[in-house]
Amino acid sequence: MDDIKSLEHATLKVPYEVLNKKFRVAQKNIDREVAHVQSSTTDLEKCLQKKESVQNVAKVLSGMVEKLKVLKRKAEESIKDEVEAAQACKRRLEHLKEFETLSPSAAVQWRKKRLDRMLVENFLRAGYYNTALKLAKHSEIEDLTNIDLFLVSKEVEESLEQQETAKCLSWCHDNRSKLRKMKSSLEFNLRQQEFIELIRNNKRLEAVRHARKYFTNLEEAQLFDVQRVMGLLAFSSSTTIIPYKDLLDVSRWQSLVQQFRFENFKLHQLNSQSIFSVTLQSGLSALKTPHCYKNSPDYKKADCPVCTKHLNQLARPLPSAHCAQSRLVCFISGEPLNEHNPPMMLPNGYVYGYNSLVQMAGDNEGTLVCPRTEDIYSFDEAEKVFVM
Amino acid sequence: MDSCRAVEKEVDRVLSKFVGIDGHTTQSLDDLIQYVSGISQELSVDVNRPEVSTTQQLILQQCCQKIKDTVSRLASEHKDLHSSVSKVGKAIDRNFVTEFNGIAQDYVFEGVEKQEMLNKVIVEHFLRQGMLDIAEELINETNIEIDPVAKEPFLELHRILEALKHNDLDPALTWSRVHRQQLQAQNSSLEFKLHRLHFIRLISQGPEKQQEALLYSQNFAPFSSQHERDIQILMGSLLYMKRGIQSSPYAYLLDTINWIEIADVFTRDACSLLGMSVESPLSVCIRAGCSALPPLLNIKQVMQQRQCTGVWSAKDELPVEIDLGKECRYHSIFACPILRQQSTGSNPPVRLVCGHCISKDALNKLANGSKVKCPYCPVEQSPADAKEIIF
Repeated sequence: MDDIKSLEHATLKVPYEVLNKKFRVAQKNIDREVAHVQSSTTDLEKCLQKKESVQNVAKVLSGMVEKLKVLKRKAEESIKDEVEAAQACKRRLEHLKEFETLSPSAAVQWRKKRLDRMLVENFLRAGYYNTALKLAKHSEIEDLTNIDLFLVSKEVEESLEQQETAKCLSWCHDNRSKLRKMKSSLEFNLRQQEFIELIRNNKRLEAVRHARKYFTNLEEAQLFDVQRVMGLLAFSSSTTIIPYKDLLDVSRWQSLVQQFRFENFKLHQLNSQSIFSVTLQSGLSALKTPHCYKNSPDYKKADCPVCTKHLNQLARPLPSAHCAQSRLVCFISGEPLNEHNPPMMLPNGYVYGYNSLVQMAGDNEGTLVCPRTEDIYSFDEAEKVFVM
Repeated sequence: MDSCRAVEKEVDRVLSKFVGIDGHTTQSLDDLIQYVSGISQELSVDVNRPEVSTTQQLILQQCCQKIKDTVSRLASEHKDLHSSVSKVGKAIDRNFVTEFNGIAQDYVFEGVEKQEMLNKVIVEHFLRQGMLDIAEELINETNIEIDPVAKEPFLELHRILEALKHNDLDPALTWSRVHRQQLQAQNSSLEFKLHRLHFIRLISQGPEKQQEALLYSQNFAPFSSQHERDIQILMGSLLYMKRGIQSSPYAYLLDTINWIEIADVFTRDACSLLGMSVESPLSVCIRAGCSALPPLLNIKQVMQQRQCTGVWSAKDELPVEIDLGKECRYHSIFACPILRQQSTGSNPPVRLVCGHCISKDALNKLANGSKVKCPYCPVEQSPADAKEIIF
């Protein structure tokens, strides 16, 4: 298993979902135009049966030509859209494949781009749209991130926050078949919210009309919700009785935003967790050692990410790295301790690399100063340590 | 990479089919339109006749049939592409990992406070990369507060690096002069290297700068003990000023790699002077995560197959060892060679008299009264002589 395989599902799946949707739209367009052509052939056949005048037949025939032209245009447009969507998939594949053949320095740049891609996705999920856009533009990764998808959701979310349902409803309409397959209750909840808003504004008659229009032929499970919401009709909009008070709570709009976001991810087969969060968690775990949490400067290292203030806090609930084989580094130089740089113990029990001690002794005329306790020793007092 | 290739194969297949159907549709519709227009033109000749002739009727009926056949064929041809399209999706699902259950937890970064910490980490990452405007935008959108004082060192470093990128040494020289003592304390040759570059630039500009170069060489004085050889080389290059350094044995001094190197040296020394890591902690973590995820996913798969998921739920340690390479080893970790366990505060490493190192628990288990024999060599000793050590 390699990192591409583990990390890039969403990079490819989202443009695939776009392609799939484009395909279905294209099929619908073509079917519609084909039906038009078919019906005009039926017209023509009828004309022939009724033995209509040449003039009329010619008229029907030229209408037919027009319809064929429309079909041709629509088919070409739709297929062009599909090809574009497939090309988008292909472009991302090309970018991923590049990684294999890159020189080490170019691979560093590629990894940097990958981090930026993860960050963009993370921002989009969190709703920091402007930052996401700026970063994508700065790193020239617009093509490689799912910005378009999230920009649509930005619009919808903003409209929901302004307590408008129209945009979200039309989104539901666009994705009706998939939402139905997912058994989404989003549309129902939107209609419910509309009803609640009508009550809030004391338009009770309209509310009843609304209910009649949208709350018939629902699934059985929703019956309870409908009954409860219908109960609102009996109360004033300033009621303090639960559950009606909760129904009238404005925070319901916020939960609609959340639900929309969630369904949108699901629709595009995105995980509820961002790749950024998953990668960061496993990275922190792989780096985390018990030493990072000892409150003593004897162990802290400026270079260790888990020792930095915020990441240290964030990594607290995570498991730490597993280590069955000693991995020793010199506290002074950070170089590994091994047969070329054997560990040496000072009389106070602190261990340093041979190379660092030699250098220190050279600089200080043979004396050693333990950097952690500031005890002073001579070089001869350092003893070898053997670690298996 | 095989996963990419598998998906690419399907995408290529779909693309070629699209191109095929595009050409085919256009062609057959063009033909059809021409055919129908032809008939329509023929009809228009005798437009004043009350009825179509029998031949025309036949032709028209044939025409209807043909139109019907062609268009419905086109529609069904397009429909047939569906299987190819959905194969792409299946290939993606089959070849890429879709879920991370068990490997990452939702709650880890959840909550206002944690989000804020995470955002601060990201802001710092941007500041470090010199992406100041993006950092600002994120601060705006997340409403987090970053102390302007905390930003200042990043801004300064970034300004100096930017100048270095444009071959401007002055800000870096000023900075290193201010921090000369601290730099020397950590054995940094940054200031000398900056002066050296300045000198090289002077000599590369030809004989008219000779005087200036000579004058500038006085700046080397404080570094004479450490960089004697380098200074001799630099002064030696003056011999070739008239004939041109480019064609002299000193031509290597002019290599542009020096400028790239100086930026790296500056970043490294300045970061360690300010007590910061050289690389952005976030980059390091993500890189570590990218190497850790594949083995973790592998082990998860194995564990699920053998139905021993219980091992994973021991949340204090990862189930496998992950080697991130030596540049990611920041702390010494001692694993007792006898017990195969990491040392802890209550079970620290001890050094036996003979120099061999085991954990305290292992020592207690091996001890037989007041005697213990080293498991690695024949030396017998008293357990009390073993000394606790700190790596």
